[in-house]
Amino acid sequence: MKERAKYKIERFLKDSVIHILLIIVSIGCLFPLLWMVSSSLKTQQTIFSDMSIFPKNPMWGNFYLAWTKGGFGMYFLNSMFYTVTVVFGIVIIASLAAFAFSRLKFPGKNILFYMFLAAMMIPLPGSFVPLYVLMTKLHLVNTRIGYILCMINVGLSFSIYLLKIFFDKMPVELEDAARIDGCSRLGIWWNMALPLAKPAIAVIVIFNSLNVWNEYILATLIFSSKNLMPLQRGLMIFQGIHITEYSLLMAGMTITTLPIILVYLIMQRHIIKGITTGVIVG
Amino acid sequence: MDKKFCLFFMLSLFIVFLSVSLVNCGPNAQNKEQVKSIKVWHWMSDREDAFLELAEIYEKETGVKINFELYAPSDAYTQKVRAAAQTNTLPDIFGILGEKRDFASFVKSGYVYDLTEDMDRDLGSWKNKLFAKALAVNEFEQANSSGVKPGIYGVPIDVTNIQMLYNKDLLRGAGVDASRPPKTWKELIEINEKLKAKGMQGLVSGWGEIWMIDCFASNYAFNIMGKDKVLDTIRGKVPYTDPDWIRVFDLFREMRDEGMLASGIVTMVNKTAEQLFANNRAAFAFNGSWCVNVYKGMNPDLNYGVMLPPQASDKYPMTIWGGAGSSFMVNKQSKEVQLAVDFLKWITDAPQQIFLSKETQDLPSNKYSLKDIPMVLSQFANAMDNTTHPNVWGVSESPLVIEAFDKGIQSIIIGEKTPQQLGSEIQAIKEREMKKK
Repeated sequence: MKERAKYKIERFLKDSVIHILLIIVSIGCLFPLLWMVSSSLKTQQTIFSDMSIFPKNPMWGNFYLAWTKGGFGMYFLNSMFYTVTVVFGIVIIASLAAFAFSRLKFPGKNILFYMFLAAMMIPLPGSFVPLYVLMTKLHLVNTRIGYILCMINVGLSFSIYLLKIFFDKMPVELEDAARIDGCSRLGIWWNMALPLAKPAIAVIVIFNSLNVWNEYILATLIFSSKNLMPLQRGLMIFQGIHITEYSLLMAGMTITTLPIILVYLIMQRHIIKGITTGVIVG
Repeated sequence: MDKKFCLFFMLSLFIVFLSVSLVNCGPNAQNKEQVKSIKVWHWMSDREDAFLELAEIYEKETGVKINFELYAPSDAYTQKVRAAAQTNTLPDIFGILGEKRDFASFVKSGYVYDLTEDMDRDLGSWKNKLFAKALAVNEFEQANSSGVKPGIYGVPIDVTNIQMLYNKDLLRGAGVDASRPPKTWKELIEINEKLKAKGMQGLVSGWGEIWMIDCFASNYAFNIMGKDKVLDTIRGKVPYTDPDWIRVFDLFREMRDEGMLASGIVTMVNKTAEQLFANNRAAFAFNGSWCVNVYKGMNPDLNYGVMLPPQASDKYPMTIWGGAGSSFMVNKQSKEVQLAVDFLKWITDAPQQIFLSKETQDLPSNKYSLKDIPMVLSQFANAMDNTTHPNVWGVSESPLVIEAFDKGIQSIIIGEKTPQQLGSEIQAIKEREMKKK
């Protein structure tokens, strides 16, 4: 009895410590979001004087103002389009490339793969000027396709690396069985590799969606027409050189955050599965 | 292959088709207009609406279309301008952000049109209506260290300077005549005594951003020893252990001992300092003219005035940092240089400058537009004759010396160093740097 009670106390203490730690981490993660939503409901004056999380007179109109003043309607559609096409492009190209790197034998395979890995080490700002020069020479500056191609290029290295590790772990017997059943290489990729790689694809989708959705600097470089800009351009309206319209900026940020939270919630189950099956660790 | 596969490829084709069709919606596919137009790149998101309104007026008046293109924040803008320069795709008018040496490299590479002739035409009618101190920032003088051909290469569209602000209500509350802000250091200390007695905080400023300390100290260095001696110190002819420099450092010790400085001032960013002053929590602030816009947003009812930092000596006039706020340059490679110059002339005319100032709360670069702008802005602008800036001194201090200077003053404020100790420390670094040269 005594030992059972001791075991129960020990377990209770252990659980309590873990839960307290998790609660602290959760607060750390959630507080900025909460502060963002709270600030979006204040006025430019009360944001500096009212420190409460729940403002007495919430300014719901800020969301409407942010949407209209920031021209979010057009930017929202642009961002949706860029995110869907870029992520789609990355998933197709990366899965085909990773399948080839993993399953096919061709000369220069390793060198090519390491070149892709090396590209991962180059930070995006470091490649701005060469990208701009290339886009100018190809006459793709200020075009949607130019931006989409650049963004696909940005996301490819990491995605190929992730999927190659996943395909490497795929049993060869499965592939042999498919081949016996009359499947071509493309058929194996489509019918076997892709469905099995769902968790890895989920990680790629969420990672790249986040990347494209929040991207702005490259868009500034490629586009000169306001009509082609992504959602982040709308947020910049509220950030002046010396003054920032915090309440509208926060309302705008709340709006821009929602779709990405939605994507995360939809993909959450696959992401956890992807991570737990060793996609990230390899 | 099954139906799913076909569906998948059809979807892919659809997306490719959509991409291509949307590409054609881009401006590249637009019909080339016959209307004369010029393109302006800028980073001033808070002025976008005002610029667009002015562009509309200009088009009605002249038939020339002005396409303002905003790229913000300034980091993104800088990247864009650099990349465009490398591909020779700069617009007709643009701004260059950064140090004067960046500006010089653009000029030397042949991207910036020399405006000197246009400025001097008609007995200098364009040049004379602009604040000379603002033009100086865009000017390269004879035998400049950058090796740029002497001339004026940019047009200031607004100006800025850094002064002290006083809260009229708090001063009144402490029994001080708010219509007569302190003019001397002694008066400032006396007022601070009264504020302290009422439990009010004296001076607040973003001295966690060390350039602001540099600015404050430099003001008093000019006031105590004059410009020539300050520049001679930079040249290495006067040591930082000179009694005049010790007096400059001692002002910070005095402010600390008198309890004048807001708590945490050495780690305070300017945004926090602005917030404190806007919320009536400090009687004085040291801040730039951009604060008018900031305070208006934070507390429109704030009752304050602008004053030069009180003089610590009557030997030399008080000199403050200031000059051009934002400037525009004309692309030398542009096919529409004359149109671009004409537009810049127009935008710096008094009516446009008054409009911009009222809309954006920035100081106008045209000195004949002061009487028609808000009072607090004209108070700021009236001190433009007292301004200077390290960019126009012609000599520059070593970054290591500047760092030791600014951080040393922070140490005085928190009581870690004495003014004499700081003077010796900076001098030691200065001598080391001089030997390297």
